[in-house]
Amino acid sequence: MKLTNPQLTRRSFLAKSGLGAGLIMGSSAILSAENNPGSSSDIRVGFIGCGKQHEVLFNAMVNIPGIRYVAACDIMKARVGRTFSTIKSRFGYNIKRYLNAEDMLEKESLDAVFISTPDFWHAPHSVMAMDAGCAVYCEKMMSNTLEGARSIVAAMDRTGQLCQIGHQRRSNPRYRYVLEQLIQKEQLLGQLVNINSQWNRALSSSQDIVSKPSILPDAQTLRAAGFDTGAKKELSLESLRHRFLNWRFYKNLSGGPISDLGAHQIDIFNWFLGIQPTTLVASGGRSYFKDREHFDNVMCLFDYETAQGNVRAFYQVLTTTSSGGGYYESFMGTNGTLMMSEREAYTKIYKESGADNAAQWSACVQRGLLKKTGAGIAAGGSDAIASYESAPPDEYALPGGMSKAPHQPHIENFFDAMRGTAKLTCDARHALESEAPIYWVNQAAETKQTIHFTNEHLHT
Amino acid sequence: MVSVNNSSNNLGDTLGILLLRLWLGVRAIQTGIEKFAGTRYTEQAVNIDGTANTYGLTEAVAGKTYAFGNYKGIPESLATKFSQEPLIPSWFITIYDWAIGPLLLITGLFVLLGLALRYSLFTMGLIYTSLTFGLILIKQDAGIAWLGLHVLLVVAALKLANHNRFTFTKNY
Repeated sequence: MKLTNPQLTRRSFLAKSGLGAGLIMGSSAILSAENNPGSSSDIRVGFIGCGKQHEVLFNAMVNIPGIRYVAACDIMKARVGRTFSTIKSRFGYNIKRYLNAEDMLEKESLDAVFISTPDFWHAPHSVMAMDAGCAVYCEKMMSNTLEGARSIVAAMDRTGQLCQIGHQRRSNPRYRYVLEQLIQKEQLLGQLVNINSQWNRALSSSQDIVSKPSILPDAQTLRAAGFDTGAKKELSLESLRHRFLNWRFYKNLSGGPISDLGAHQIDIFNWFLGIQPTTLVASGGRSYFKDREHFDNVMCLFDYETAQGNVRAFYQVLTTTSSGGGYYESFMGTNGTLMMSEREAYTKIYKESGADNAAQWSACVQRGLLKKTGAGIAAGGSDAIASYESAPPDEYALPGGMSKAPHQPHIENFFDAMRGTAKLTCDARHALESEAPIYWVNQAAETKQTIHFTNEHLHT
Repeated sequence: MVSVNNSSNNLGDTLGILLLRLWLGVRAIQTGIEKFAGTRYTEQAVNIDGTANTYGLTEAVAGKTYAFGNYKGIPESLATKFSQEPLIPSWFITIYDWAIGPLLLITGLFVLLGLALRYSLFTMGLIYTSLTFGLILIKQDAGIAWLGLHVLLVVAALKLANHNRFTFTKNY
């Protein structure tokens, strides 16, 4: 399968584009080449970025038929080699290996490119790939800056290429089901008043990433790839390598924990409510990792004006504590609460004891829309003061789960859209509508000032 | 099939030993087969309003399967407890785990078919006694009593062995 861009060829883009040398990542060497075209109906896929997130995506797509892996690119030779070996051992053919994304896009005939580079490269790589005539699947956040994210939307509009952003929950059947069936159609939760959400990650999972120096890129390569962006003085090789491995800690390279972890979940607020927030207050601090540029814990509060009334949504991301339920998005209504998580184990549904739609909950169980898992049990004990207590809610569960890797449906949706059999569930424009408020959280936390969102803040 | 000359003419005793052979044989054979049982989970679409949902929600449905690969002579929970017992060496647990399933199958088959009946019953009694020893160590009194009943049934079968008439071999 070859989807061509009638407006611009890869070569003419690369010849004309101002991105030019700034986008060159490392040497331009092709490490290997073998022609093995596969079926003509296969979607020809290339990878830009072969680190951990690339592995997550690759593992989620290995069972999807109709894909031909063609090439992979990363400035770290060992990573490209690992991708090459994985594809060779699993599929029995060779892909081409590149250290330079421009080279790959110029020399290979690709239909789709998967981008899982550090955040500050998402926008340049996405724009470059779309201008080169490829559909793009780009990891979230779209960029480390709002301007970068807007440039992806502009490129999508300009080129007419498909661009799916990796908010994978948008294609998750469990999320789609609860939104469309339980919240919108059955309105089981009653009036939504609050959202409470978190990602609590343990200190042990938040440490610096280290690697064997011998396999890391050299200083010249890292400087060429922009890992010294924002540095006030020339960085040593050690500092550059720290930035390369731990780009999430640096303001010019990423949006920090609120962007890394929070973006997935705040996206769900905006998606489920169908609107953008009106105001934001936030607080954060370098409470433990004092030498990191980004806050290690952030708490924020968004206000939404929905047709049903005001919804107040709290979100916290902690990198020093994992207890308290892991990661979830809890939608709290007058008749029930949906505690939703990508992890099925963290997902729970509660019916308020005084719900005025109790019969509807029972009917939903009968129809198979829900499973009742337990009746509310009062905690009891001599310290309970009856007048303080609410009757405990009954507990319910979704009728089923998902038997695929969490990212697989989102990637399937991307390929289906390329084949014209589906619409993207999270194209760049919708992703930006959802991501735009997130870009303001760090600023709100720094300034301790309420942000009243305007079109200036949120436009796409 | 041959009729044994020295068997009694007492019909009750004859049917009694036949019944005991059946019970003890089936009990041992099926217990041996169950050592090869495992669980296989298959994903099935969840039904909503009587039809398969369109979202792709699935639930795991457990199904029982038999395979050589599933073989586990001593259940995991018991093996862990036995491994902490100083009177049972680890090499013995390994051998016993490997042997118990086939032993139950073979002795069960011999008793069911009446092959070398007295020796088969005696071997079966020894197996149940060995199992009892393990349960004594980990203080599972209910299991000990349960195995004791098995041994009593084996003894009853040995007592009635003289009346065994339906067998493929000479009555040993």
